[in-house]
Amino acid sequence: MAYVVTDACVDIMDQSCVEECPVDCIYEGDRMMYIHPDECVDCGKCVPVCPSDAIFWEHKLPAELAHFTAAATEFFEQREDSSG
Amino acid sequence: MAETDLLIVGAGPVGLYAVYYAGFRGLSVTVVDALEQPGGQMSALYPEKKVYDIAGFPAVRAQDLVDALAEQAAQVKPRYLLGETAQTINDSADAVTVTTSRGTTVTAKAVLITGGIGSFQPRPLPTGGEYENRGLRYFVPRPAELTDADVVIVGGGDSAVDWALALEPLARSVALVHRRARFRAHEHSVRLLRASSTRLYTPHEVHRMSGANRVEQVEIRNVETGTIECLRVDAVVAALGFVANLGPLTTWGLEMRNRHIAVDRTMRTSRPRVYAAGDIAGYAGKVALISVGFGEAALAVNNLAPLVDPSLHREPGHSSDAA
Repeated sequence: MAYVVTDACVDIMDQSCVEECPVDCIYEGDRMMYIHPDECVDCGKCVPVCPSDAIFWEHKLPAELAHFTAAATEFFEQREDSSG
Repeated sequence: MAETDLLIVGAGPVGLYAVYYAGFRGLSVTVVDALEQPGGQMSALYPEKKVYDIAGFPAVRAQDLVDALAEQAAQVKPRYLLGETAQTINDSADAVTVTTSRGTTVTAKAVLITGGIGSFQPRPLPTGGEYENRGLRYFVPRPAELTDADVVIVGGGDSAVDWALALEPLARSVALVHRRARFRAHEHSVRLLRASSTRLYTPHEVHRMSGANRVEQVEIRNVETGTIECLRVDAVVAALGFVANLGPLTTWGLEMRNRHIAVDRTMRTSRPRVYAAGDIAGYAGKVALISVGFGEAALAVNNLAPLVDPSLHREPGHSSDAA
């Protein structure tokens, strides 16, 4: 289980969520932030502080945003590949 | 000789229930937690949030649940070691000895780790950390200590704003430094803040701290314009939230399962006399919920009870018969 950042973050990247996250699991991508699905502990602290309302609980993710779950997984796979 | 039957590491909801449960089984209990108050994540991260999946409670405020668990636990008169982190573990004859960050040693016949996602520590201030306890602090348990002081608070969440409001009537001056224009605290608190005499520096960050023995000056930088301003201070309060870390528990030689402690169906870990329950315990099919954690706490305590006292059975009998 995890929370997921979606398109409302793109080119905004306010990062209030980063200050709130107790486990430092929110990372900066090129155009949006990503929540590490394995590091997230489901506390939900990031949701209300996001000024763009971009963050959803995985299981409450609107269908049209469902691909952002896979986008996060892909982002961290690539990151981990490139860091060896 | 063991001074306590059971040492519980972590005073979150599952740890508190385990305290009560161990007392119900007749065991003496010591409980250690890194935070100054019990309640773990519920108190530190979301005290005002409603929880809907606790058996018997259609809805309950997180802090209310913690208060009720602490009251239930208090019946068995546990010894609390709050503000201490369990650091090292050593085997001794028929017992284990755990040493905390404050050097307290506890010898127990069994240990139950209910450490959740790890111990919470305040997120360190990126600049000026060397002034900790020399003017820089992370908590304000007694606001009166800062009477007539010039105080700078750093942060933009509820703690920062609440401390500003608590100190504003007492301190000589209060300045609040936050990296963004927007505060993350409750709207009502922010309205009170804006109406108070607190000077707001946004979007600013701490650039440098200076002072001979104690911090005397804080240079703050406007993150948009780069302009630097200097504030004279007696105290700096950093309220940047908490970070959780499994920390020393990963050095206890326990078999891990991802970032969880592997346990068998009796909640026993790979180390003799050490059990785990709640979010920190991992096994096939695990679901990390408080309701599951409560069950695991009862499982762990009942299974370790005969180890602590061979005259005890694993089966507890009914609590309703125990009056």
